[in-house]
Amino acid sequence: MQTGNLDLVKYMVSTVLVANRGEIACRILRACSEAGLNSVAIYANNDKESMFVELATKSVELVGETIGETYLDQQQILDIAAKHGADAIHPGFGFLSERADFARAVLEAGITWIGPSPLAIEMMGDKMTARKTMKAAGVPVIPGEEIDFEDETKMIEAIVQASTRVGYPLLLKASSGGGGKGMRKVENPDNLVESIKGARREAIAAFGDGRVYIERMLTGSKHVEIQVLADTHGRVIHLGERECSVQRRHQKVFEESPCPVMTTDLREKMGKAAVMAAKAVNYEGAGTVEFLLDSTGEFFFLEMNTRIQVEHPVTEMVTGIDLVREQLRIAAGKPMSCGQLMMRGHAIEVRLYAEDASNNFLPAIGPLAVFRPPTGPGIRLDTGVREGDMVTPNYDPMLAKLIVWAPSRAEALQRMRRALDDFVVLGTTTNLRFLRELCDHEDVVSGATDTTMIERIWPNGWSPQFSSEILNAALMVAGVSESAGLHNVQATQSSADDGPPSPFQSLTRRYP
Amino acid sequence: MQHEFKFAGDTVEVTVARDSQTWHLGDLECQIMADGRLKLTVNGVTKFAHSTKVGDVWWVHIDGHVFCIEKTEAGSNDDDSQGGMIAPMPGKIIDVLVEQGQSVTAGDLLLVMEAMKMEHRIVANVDGVIGVLKLKAGDQVQQGDVLVEISE
Repeated sequence: MQTGNLDLVKYMVSTVLVANRGEIACRILRACSEAGLNSVAIYANNDKESMFVELATKSVELVGETIGETYLDQQQILDIAAKHGADAIHPGFGFLSERADFARAVLEAGITWIGPSPLAIEMMGDKMTARKTMKAAGVPVIPGEEIDFEDETKMIEAIVQASTRVGYPLLLKASSGGGGKGMRKVENPDNLVESIKGARREAIAAFGDGRVYIERMLTGSKHVEIQVLADTHGRVIHLGERECSVQRRHQKVFEESPCPVMTTDLREKMGKAAVMAAKAVNYEGAGTVEFLLDSTGEFFFLEMNTRIQVEHPVTEMVTGIDLVREQLRIAAGKPMSCGQLMMRGHAIEVRLYAEDASNNFLPAIGPLAVFRPPTGPGIRLDTGVREGDMVTPNYDPMLAKLIVWAPSRAEALQRMRRALDDFVVLGTTTNLRFLRELCDHEDVVSGATDTTMIERIWPNGWSPQFSSEILNAALMVAGVSESAGLHNVQATQSSADDGPPSPFQSLTRRYP
Repeated sequence: MQHEFKFAGDTVEVTVARDSQTWHLGDLECQIMADGRLKLTVNGVTKFAHSTKVGDVWWVHIDGHVFCIEKTEAGSNDDDSQGGMIAPMPGKIIDVLVEQGQSVTAGDLLLVMEAMKMEHRIVANVDGVIGVLKLKAGDQVQQGDVLVEISE
């Protein structure tokens, strides 16, 4: 057992249960270790070989097969926390992180919840309530309308009526939504009803709540979010912005700080709005207020994420603040350790997904037969996988986050290009090359990024560009490797019983 | 040594010759390094390539590019019933928009399936006529299952 950091122990947090898996579980477990805290990892049977399981003081297997029976089983997690003496629970992101009922159950069990109050989660988690709360707090929201019907027929009727006031193109959004699920872009009235049905269906499947509302689609705008931090001593601050405009299927792939078009003035205004938003719900801990920023410098509240966020490392790189460490401090009742905001240099993060970027970003599976991340100054890799792991369809296809820091944006982009070229992943299709080509696009180079740019740049989908010389060299490598019998990996990775069949049987097929 | 590969649907014959520690293909030269990487010179610049074989496929990383090059037996002509649309991963069929015998053109939406809680649209990869179609909404499919056949 570790002896513990006296400062933190004094405030009643000694053992943190991490109710998550993969990359973010690794991030939090390492932060616990660095803070001198004990940790408990929980894992489903199909994760027993995963990296995060090795990083905890203690690891406990969850009983059950599905995600619902394991990582989302609140009672089982609370029982494990009690049995193994966890006095705090960190939910990470996804899974139970924005479930107010879980936060409440944790608190009722006498355990510290590393996150904001259940009420704050509820008010921000329901997107329609959040819109209303922000309007009341004087934070600008996107033009749109809340729709108060759950019944499909009435909902369709109300949205069709609202659509004439909101105008096209518009966005349908699930009130319980997130991560692009239950969201539909509608270009013209012809597709409206079909889209409402699709959004509602996806929202019911993903969240068990089919309520959908309507917002004007602000094309050509930037997604700019403000990191906030609030402690229990009344201090609420912002840590500057991240720009996350580059998205595919409403999921971010390229994030940076600072935002290339940010000015000191605008940062102050947006920061102030974000702090107001946090104060409106008596926020505690780390959170993110997302805005759309249009070309005139006007910004609109999009949503608040009441948890640590995937792209938090870019803020850490430019501010020097360890956000997860601050979460632990704040949860332990200590004042945050941050001084005045100082942003230094430029950081960029890209998300490495197991997916086929040339095929509508369809998730991919397979073995990570080779996994060699880049190294060198200003390079950080946050991942939950290592060479030899299998990528399965069981969980999210994000494999890693590659983050670079450099004194200027241009240098950070150069560093990212070099890092992506050096990153070797074989055995599973990834979006590495897509990210690499993105770094060369003139709009990325100039910082003229917006939320619809991927569809604009590649309206018919992306496919890799390469010279015939490189292809010939690759064919020669295959020929020499075959002749010399190099690296012959068995196709049947005789691992988990739920291991998927080889994806390579379908490699030459196309699913446009 | 001569090998037959398939890349991006095309069959390619690759003949490499070995001269002591150096392999040749045309004017390309290549050496195998002690750690298993391959060193070769492309347009006068030295590159280091990684390769690994999974199943019948060679995965090659060179200069930031990844190529999947399938080893095929010379002479065999296992034309992959070009119109077969295969389930890319396990999931559930949400909607079937075509019927057996229906004519479709490449790009037409055939099926909507859900995998990883996201909806995926399966569209026709060729022009043709829908063959036997047994799937209906609600069916579970496994990765590799033939979803729909299109005969040209």
